[in-house]
Amino acid sequence: MTRYVMVADLERCVGCQTCTAACKHTNATAPGVQWRRVLDMEVGEFPDVRRAFVPVGCMHCADPPCMHVCPSTATGQRADGLVTIDYDLCIGCGYCAVACPYQARYMVEQPGQAYREGRMRSETQRENPGRLGVAQKCTFCSDRIDYGEQHGLTPGVDPEATPACVNACIASALQFGDIEDPDSNVSQLLAAHKHFRMHEELGTDPGFYYLWEDR
Amino acid sequence: MSSPADGTAKKVPTYCYQCVAGPDLMTVKVVDGVATEVEPNFAAAEVTPSAGKVCVKAFGLLQKMYNPNRILTPMKRTNPRKGVDQDPGFVPISWDEALDTIAERLEAVQAKGPNDDSGYPRIAASFGGGGTPTYYMGTLPAFLASIGPIDFGFGSGQGVKCYHSEHLYGELWHRAFTVAPDTPNTEYMLSFGYNVEASGGVCGVKRHADARARGAKRVQIEPHLSVTGACSAEWVPIRPKTDAAFMFGLLHVMLHEQRQRLDIPFLKHRTTSPYLVAPNGFFLRDPATSKPLIYCLQRKRAVPFDTSDSDPALEGTFKVSGIEIGADDDAWEHRMEKVQPAFQKLIDHTAGYTPLWAGRICDVPHKVIRRLALEFIDHARVGETTEVEGRELPYRPVAIALGKTVNNGWGGFDCCWARTLMACLVGALEVPGGTLGTTVRLNRPATDRNLSVKPHPDGFMDYPMNPTDKAGWLAKPDVRNANRTLIPLVANSPWSQALGPTHLAWMQQQQAPEHWPQATPPDIWFVYRTNPAISFWDTTQITEVLSRFPFTVCFALTNDETNHFADILLPDRTDLEGLQLIRVGGTKFIEQFWDYQGFALRQPVVEAQGDARDFTWIATELARRSGVLDKYVKAVNRGAAGVPLKGEHYDFSLAEDEAPSVEAVWDATCRAASAEITDGAEDQGLDWYREHGFRVAPFPRVKWYLYAAIEDAGLRFELPYQERLMRVGKQLGRRLHEHGISWWDEQLEEYDPLPEYKNYPEMWEKALERNYRVDIRDYPFWAVTARSMQYAWGGNAGIQMMREVAENVGGHGGVVINATKAAELGLADGDLVEIRSPLNATRGRVVTRQGIRPDTLLMIGQFEHWATPYAKDLELPSLNKLVPMLIDLTDSTGSGADLTRVQVNRVEGAR
Amino acid sequence: MNVGGKPWLQTHWDWHVAVNFLTGGSGSGLLLVAALGALAGQPLAAPTWLGLLLIGGGLAQVMLHLGRPLRGLNALFNPRTSWMSREAFVAGPLLLVALLAALLEWTLLGLLAGLLAVAFLYCQARILKEARGIPAWREPRLLPLILATGLVEGAALYLLVALLGGWHEATLGASVLLLVALVTRILAWRGYRKALQGNAPNEALRALERAEAPFAGAGHVAPVLLLVVAAGVPSAQAPLTALAGLMALLAGWGVKFAIVTRAGYNQGFAIMHTPARGAGTGGLGSKPGW
Repeated sequence: MTRYVMVADLERCVGCQTCTAACKHTNATAPGVQWRRVLDMEVGEFPDVRRAFVPVGCMHCADPPCMHVCPSTATGQRADGLVTIDYDLCIGCGYCAVACPYQARYMVEQPGQAYREGRMRSETQRENPGRLGVAQKCTFCSDRIDYGEQHGLTPGVDPEATPACVNACIASALQFGDIEDPDSNVSQLLAAHKHFRMHEELGTDPGFYYLWEDR
Repeated sequence: MSSPADGTAKKVPTYCYQCVAGPDLMTVKVVDGVATEVEPNFAAAEVTPSAGKVCVKAFGLLQKMYNPNRILTPMKRTNPRKGVDQDPGFVPISWDEALDTIAERLEAVQAKGPNDDSGYPRIAASFGGGGTPTYYMGTLPAFLASIGPIDFGFGSGQGVKCYHSEHLYGELWHRAFTVAPDTPNTEYMLSFGYNVEASGGVCGVKRHADARARGAKRVQIEPHLSVTGACSAEWVPIRPKTDAAFMFGLLHVMLHEQRQRLDIPFLKHRTTSPYLVAPNGFFLRDPATSKPLIYCLQRKRAVPFDTSDSDPALEGTFKVSGIEIGADDDAWEHRMEKVQPAFQKLIDHTAGYTPLWAGRICDVPHKVIRRLALEFIDHARVGETTEVEGRELPYRPVAIALGKTVNNGWGGFDCCWARTLMACLVGALEVPGGTLGTTVRLNRPATDRNLSVKPHPDGFMDYPMNPTDKAGWLAKPDVRNANRTLIPLVANSPWSQALGPTHLAWMQQQQAPEHWPQATPPDIWFVYRTNPAISFWDTTQITEVLSRFPFTVCFALTNDETNHFADILLPDRTDLEGLQLIRVGGTKFIEQFWDYQGFALRQPVVEAQGDARDFTWIATELARRSGVLDKYVKAVNRGAAGVPLKGEHYDFSLAEDEAPSVEAVWDATCRAASAEITDGAEDQGLDWYREHGFRVAPFPRVKWYLYAAIEDAGLRFELPYQERLMRVGKQLGRRLHEHGISWWDEQLEEYDPLPEYKNYPEMWEKALERNYRVDIRDYPFWAVTARSMQYAWGGNAGIQMMREVAENVGGHGGVVINATKAAELGLADGDLVEIRSPLNATRGRVVTRQGIRPDTLLMIGQFEHWATPYAKDLELPSLNKLVPMLIDLTDSTGSGADLTRVQVNRVEGAR
Repeated sequence: MNVGGKPWLQTHWDWHVAVNFLTGGSGSGLLLVAALGALAGQPLAAPTWLGLLLIGGGLAQVMLHLGRPLRGLNALFNPRTSWMSREAFVAGPLLLVALLAALLEWTLLGLLAGLLAVAFLYCQARILKEARGIPAWREPRLLPLILATGLVEGAALYLLVALLGGWHEATLGASVLLLVALVTRILAWRGYRKALQGNAPNEALRALERAEAPFAGAGHVAPVLLLVVAAGVPSAQAPLTALAGLMALLAGWGVKFAIVTRAGYNQGFAIMHTPARGAGTGGLGSKPGW
């Protein structure tokens, strides 16, 4: 079995949003839509304050509430753990968006436009009418994973088979791979670091791990 | 790669050099002739320290290129009146009309002579971004070189918003125009406001992340919890502009409590610590050779510093004879006079700078200062060595980094001195793990700082000071900021003008100081990739000056606040549309020291938008039309475009009598580059670089460490005692006074051989009170700024996606205030407030954070745009509007600091 | 864009969706009470038409505001796990049976419609509960509140219909039922709010706190007092009873509207630890806004 997960090393992350931008390019998301983004969190009170940068997005939960509530079966789950959306089935009810405890889902009704003065060629070129009026979220760049698997590449290792945010991460804070493979990069990182998952108490079994200290 | 759906996609290699922390290599995916994605250049992963990646800024380039607000044809102004409130009335014109208009002006200038009645060049040019425009302006430098003297002194930030003291003193002491920790090897870093996670580029971010993973400790000392503070093991919230006191406190602990743990051999043999200081403060010298004397403990007498097998005394008082040479022709002879080594002077000098003293000034517990000093020594590994490419070098994995406002303006000298000295005390300067310089801009050659290590007779490195002796001093400034006249340390390289007191150029346009030529506006002013109307200080004054410039030519992306005053707008091809080959690797700015060096190509990834033209075409046409084509081509052949076209084994020179095409220029440059890197063995041209993007060869790592070159030359670092600066300062003072000039006297005081701490915060307070007749208590906050990685140097506030992602980082979009303090003042997140300094006021939305001192406000680099499309609607506050340009707040290097006192008031009725 | 990770008010379900919970709850409550009334021999058609209108209207306008209205039938694809599919499955037969009941006035059809209406109401309550991204909705104690307010609203509407129709027995019965339902509802509300303490973002709790006074006072105390006074003052019985019903109804709508559109703060983000940075150590975590 394979389960692809994301690992974010909070010790490395600097909150630069390069992953956010790379995701926006790769997935041509509309202005305001960020499948991947990095939070800037403060903990404590002056002068005992810490500031942490926390990448978030779809956690590709093993038990995804968004999928359970989806009335149209548009949201599905692949054998490798990726939570998917079939844009052709989705009715745009938004139920998945309120079922997701990670605020990972977006809905866009109109084609995006960065500048009111006109649409850019890069916007019209990447226009995807099928994604209007339906739910959308991070796909873990499933097309890259599929491409990689078809070409004998390892997701998380070979850039062509790896999510764009991971490729772009300038601090090497984001890593991706198969958690079921004990030799994978992510399994080794998890073995070497203390880690947590967000909102684990909600029982969604998220596929996104945060490293916070060496073991 | 192409994924299944992208049959027609291709990936075009190019580079991003929007900030000095570049260049970074990347690829741009093009689908059906449209650029759609920026990606790392995975092929460069092995040869670049950034692993072939680019930072968030590069991703803004698509919207920059396709921005519907772009200016896509040349334009001319139709409204002769200039002003913030005037509509320029730009109308499209042809390239012919635009270029001929400029050429006519140029020819008229040439006819009148290159300098005006005040002696200043009639042509001026301003470029932003720490020299990075060079990597986008093709052959424009060759054109500029061919049209005579140019005043580059109208700063847009350079000089006052750069690491100014570091640039100058760094070059003096260790060929360090920029200073960086040897991050790949260090274990401990004290970072005084060095915001590397925002300003260090991909290379800096990656290396520091690796260092953290290694367990390295970094302590961030800064008034607010910046992104770098966030990524540090510890944050020390220091009172603004008191960093020098903090460092002096560290020095005190090292010198008075831990002296036995210092690197004594390094101090004795690689610094001027043992040089004996004569009664008038200059070195005691050997009467026969004029060499500085040291006291040899073995021989029990004074000997010239370079006497072999000497064991120099660092401490003590000795009765010695010798001569002393002062300023100008001053000289004294001393017979059995009591003298001390410079190191003893240092010990005495720092006696009062206890951690208790420093802690009170810095509002930091004194125990923290002492602990950090001890940690610094603990980590220094004094005595250890390591091998780099077969060469044994000291291994000292401790470093100190300084950020903006710490190392410019008053106090910058103290901080740079203390930082460099602390490195010397443990032998950690220019050695593996220690504090390194990464590039030179004032010394020559600029391509390799190791080659700039030339001996001075006194045993340290020579330095190209501007002369201050009677015969050599440039009494009449040759450019408006008078850099060579006032700033000996700024030298006279192509970069020196931009590092002069650039605000003087602006200030004097309003009123010249006493006994000084009345500055004139330039007849022609060229502007590229810079926006001084909002990026400099006292922006209201700047815009008034700009209104009076008679003929301004702006290379323009969109309308902006400086273009607003232009007479001609020229649309150049942007980052992704133009063609240029640049040098990469070796050691460059910030943390860009590579294991490789070579060349990278920037190429059009798609067809240019509208009628934007390649910079090289524009430069060639300007040269041709203004009758300087031959000089221009000569300059290109000489290497003004980055690579000399003729070398020992090759000659790709262009014909001087005809205008070369853009492709011809860069094909020849590519061939010369290939030949240079292979000693003439290969000569691949433009097509090869278009396909491969870059070409590199190994760069020896030992060249990262200047210590090796210093050791080879048998030289010392010129620390701790600044005898040479003292002499220069005295001479400069005499020259100025001879001309009746006394308005530079406070600056002259800074030529101290050992800097004394001055109450720097009070200097600002008093200067503001004096100049604006205010009670400083009415302005209870310090206003500071910080780098925005997302915005800086990209002009990115006008790029929607950059704005969008920048908003994820706390503090963007408003003015940051301590949450508890805000609550006290009844302010909540999102409230509209006016931030008022004695000079002016700006408005912004409140952003409350815990990570900032209660006495400090932070406005992250965003500049209250009023003309740039999109950005002007964002209502962002700007510190620049609030910071005055004052001689009182200008240090001896000609710099100031991004700092002022402010009050904050809610704008009633706005929530 | 949210910077620090605090929960923010969800925007995916706006008032269109809220209205469906308002009218759907009232309509199904009304159908249930109408069925009970029919059992007691009271007229079936008028309340059933009204219930039909409320349920159908609510569904229709929420359908129209789907991102892809033309694919509305896809909502039926996932009855296995989705309560929205189940609601859709119930809605069809419910509307059909209710229509027939209204037309034919058969008590049996009325009863069947009432049962389907209960199922529909239950589906609506479960829809909210399964929205696990919204702490104020996913709380299990919301379920009895939604059911109870459905009953209150149904009783209140039935009361108004009965008053208009001059059906004295029905008025009396509905008044008693309304009293009982009001008690049930306020208990459910108390239980819901109690259960939510510490289990929802601060802002969500504040939104519910703001709803407390109008809901408890105007929605419960006042109607109960009015009903009691009405019982003792025959001359003003009709207007007082009507006012009681109206207030109970509007309070139900108000509180559901508040829960969906004002207390609908999402989960926000949280970290269990702040990271070690280099030689530093990890620190406490944070759940901002809670």
